[in-house]
Amino acid sequence: MPKLALQFLSFWIWLAVSVNGFAVSVKPHEVRDLQYGEVLFHFYQDDYFTAITHLLVARKQNHLPHHRQEAELLLGGLQLSYGMLDQAEARFNRLLDKDTDRKLRNRIWFYLTKISYQRGRHEQAFNTLQKIEKPKDKKVRAELALLNANIHMEMGENAEAAEILRKAPAPAGWEEFLRINRGIALLRAGDIKKGRAILDKLGKKRSGDEELRALRDRANLGLGYELLRNGEAVQARKYLNRVRLQGPFMQAALLGAGWADTEHGDYEQALTPWLALLKLSSHDAPVQEAHLAVPYAFNKIGDSKRSNYFYKQALEFFDKEQQYLGEAIQAAHSGALVSLLSQRSIDANSSGGWLNEHPTLENVPSGRYLVDILSGHQFQESLKDYRDLGYLKHLLQTWLENIGLYYDMVEARRLAYEQRAPLVRKRLGENEIAALQKSWQHYNTLIQDDSRNNDPLNLATGKEKQQWKTLQQTQEKLAALPEQPRFIKMQDKARWLQGVLYWQIQSDYKVRLWDAEKQVKELGNMIGEAARNHQQVATALVDVKAGFDGFDTRIETLRTRILSLLPRIDIGRANASGHLQELALKELETRQQRLASYRTQARYALARSYDQVARQNRNESEEAQ
Amino acid sequence: MKALYRIILAGLMIWPLLLAAEAKAPAESGIREDVQTLKQQVLELNRDLFLLEEELLFPSNTQVSVFLSMNVGEFFKLDSVKLKIDGKEVADYLYTERELDALVRGGVQRIHIGNLRTGDHELVAFFIGKGPHGRDYKRGTTMTIKKGLGPKYVELKIVDQTKNYQPEFEVKEW
Repeated sequence: MPKLALQFLSFWIWLAVSVNGFAVSVKPHEVRDLQYGEVLFHFYQDDYFTAITHLLVARKQNHLPHHRQEAELLLGGLQLSYGMLDQAEARFNRLLDKDTDRKLRNRIWFYLTKISYQRGRHEQAFNTLQKIEKPKDKKVRAELALLNANIHMEMGENAEAAEILRKAPAPAGWEEFLRINRGIALLRAGDIKKGRAILDKLGKKRSGDEELRALRDRANLGLGYELLRNGEAVQARKYLNRVRLQGPFMQAALLGAGWADTEHGDYEQALTPWLALLKLSSHDAPVQEAHLAVPYAFNKIGDSKRSNYFYKQALEFFDKEQQYLGEAIQAAHSGALVSLLSQRSIDANSSGGWLNEHPTLENVPSGRYLVDILSGHQFQESLKDYRDLGYLKHLLQTWLENIGLYYDMVEARRLAYEQRAPLVRKRLGENEIAALQKSWQHYNTLIQDDSRNNDPLNLATGKEKQQWKTLQQTQEKLAALPEQPRFIKMQDKARWLQGVLYWQIQSDYKVRLWDAEKQVKELGNMIGEAARNHQQVATALVDVKAGFDGFDTRIETLRTRILSLLPRIDIGRANASGHLQELALKELETRQQRLASYRTQARYALARSYDQVARQNRNESEEAQ
Repeated sequence: MKALYRIILAGLMIWPLLLAAEAKAPAESGIREDVQTLKQQVLELNRDLFLLEEELLFPSNTQVSVFLSMNVGEFFKLDSVKLKIDGKEVADYLYTERELDALVRGGVQRIHIGNLRTGDHELVAFFIGKGPHGRDYKRGTTMTIKKGLGPKYVELKIVDQTKNYQPEFEVKEW
C-alpha cells in the first residue's frame, strides 16, 4: 500500500507544480499585438474559455500578426487546460508539420509529452520527451526533470527516476518537490536508506508556507507508513509524530502512531492517539478504524469491561454509519448528488471548471459522504466536465435571449436607413460633386495658363484690379481732354501710378502664383476626397441594404446553431451526471461493504469477549465449588 | 488478534489506495470525447456570436477600444483606473488580486469599448494605487485622440519612469 499511496502523492505533487511551469513558458517577451495581450489577461486568470474565445476572435480578425505562431501554441495549451486533449494534441502535431523554429518545437514536444503522460501512454511520453533539447532556464529544466522522472516511475524504472531527479537543478520553489519525488522514487526502487534520508531531511524542514508544511506532512506520513510496513515501529512513530495535528493528514498519522505503539506491545500508549481519533466528529476511514482499534487495545491490556463497552460503541457507530450510507446511496439514486453539484455552477465570473469550494450541504441527506467523494480526483474531473457543460448551457441560453435583440437592432437600422435613404439618393442625384469638379477644372486651367503666360495682372487682388481699372479709365478720360500742360501733368501722374501698381503686383507675382497653385492643388485633393466619399456613400447605399439581409441570415444561422447545440449539451450533462452518479454509488457501496466487514469484526470480537468472560466466570464458580 | 490487526491495517490501507486508483482510472472515454466535441463547437459558435455582437454594437467605423497594460516594479500596486472620453466617464475599474497578477505577468485588459464619431476626442485617464510604504499614488493623463474611419485602439500603459522610478501613464495609439 505505501507504494501506491506514494504513487498517489507524487502524481499530485507533479500536477501541482506543472501548472506554474506551463504558465511561465508561454509568456512572451513583449506583447506586440494588443489582442494577444488580452488573451493572456484571461489565460493568466485561468479563465480558459474566455481566453480561447478571444484568441479565436482575434485570429479571425487578423489581429495577431506578430504572435501568429505563439498564438497557435497558446491555443493548444489553452485547449489542454480546458480539457480538450484531442484538439490540443491535433493542434500540436499540426504545428510540428510546419516550419516552426527550434524553441517553439521544444515547447510543442513538451506539451505532447504532457498529453501522452496524462493519457497513460508512458512509452510515447518518454519518446517524445527525448526530443526536447536541454533548456537553459533552470525552472523549465526542473519541470522537465520532474515530468521525466514521473514517466520513468510509471514505467517501473524507479532508480532511473531517482537519478534524473538527483541531477536536476533545484531553483527556488522547486527544491522540495524534487526532493520528495526523489525520496519516493528511491523507496520504490528499494533504496530504503537513501529514500528515508531524503524524506527525513524534508520532514524536518521548517517552513512558514502552508503548501510546504503540507508537503512535509506528506513526507513524514509516507515515511512513517513505509517503516511501519517494514516492522520498524519505533522509527515509524518518530516520523508520524512529526505530522501536524492541524494538518490534513492528522487522522492517518494518529491511527498509524497507535499501530506503531502496538508493534512493540505498548497498547496503553496506542490508546492515546486512538482515543483522540474517537473524539473527532469525523467519519473518515481512520476514525472508523479507530472504533475497532480502541476495544482491541483494551482487550490486549486485559480490560475486557472497557473493551466490550467500546465494541458496543463501535457497533452503534457502524450501524449509524450504515444508515447514513444507505441514505447517501438513496440520495445518489434520486439525483440529489446532481443537485448538490449544480450549486455554484453558474457563476458570472467563471466559465465552469473545478469546484474550488465544497458545496453547501443544506437539505442534502447525508451530504457529507457525497462531499468526501467529491474530493476524489476522478470525481473532480467528471465534475469539471459537468460544470463546464453547465456553463456552456447558461452561455448559450443567454445568447439565445439576446438573439431577439439583434434582430431588433438590425430592424431599427433598416428603418432608419429607409427613412434617410431617399434624401441621400436625392442629394447624390443632384451630382454636386460634378459641378465642383467642373469649377475646379476651370480654375486649374486658369492657373496653368497664367503660369505659362506670366501675366501678373491675372493674379491681382480684387482691390488692385479695381485700382487698375480706375487708373485706366482716368487715363482714357485725360487723353480725351485738350493738350494743356495741366492735363499732361495729370496724365503723367496717372501713368506713373499705374506703373507703381503694376510694379507692386509684379513683384509679388511669384509668391501669388505659388500660393494660387497650392490652393488649387489642395482644393483638388478636397474635391477628390469628396468624390471618393460620394462614391462610398453611393456604394454604401447599396451595400448597407444588402448588409441588413446578410445580418438577418447570420443571426438566423447562429440561432439555429444554438438551438441544435442546447439539447446536445443537455444530453452531455445527463451522461456526465449519470457517470458521476455511477462513480458515487460505486464508492458508497464499497464503503458500505467495508463498514459491513468492520461491523462483522466488531460483533465477532464482542461475542468472543463475552465468551471469554462467561468462560472465566464459569471457571471461577467451578473453582469456588 | 494479529488477524484482526491485519484486517484493520488492510482497511486503513484501502483508504489512500482508493484515492490512488481514482487518480489514474480513465473516465468514460465516450463521455469525455462528447464533452470535448461540444466544447469545440460551442467555442466556435461563441466566437461567431461575439463577432456578430461586436459588428452590431461597435461597427468598425465608429469603434474605439482602450486597453490597459502594466510594466512596473514590485513596489507599485494598482487599485483602480478611471477613464473619461469627451468628459463622460466610460470606465471606473477596481482590480482584484487575480487581475493584477495577470496584468503584471504581461496580460492586457480591454478596459473600454465604445463608439465615437470621426474626428478629435479628449481622453482623460487616472490610476490610483499604492507605492512603497503604502503611500497613495494618483496619476493622470489627458490626450487628444483622432478617430479615423477604421477601428481605433488606444493603449494606456502604466510604466515606471526611469528618472524617478515612479509609475506614470504612457499612451500609445495603435
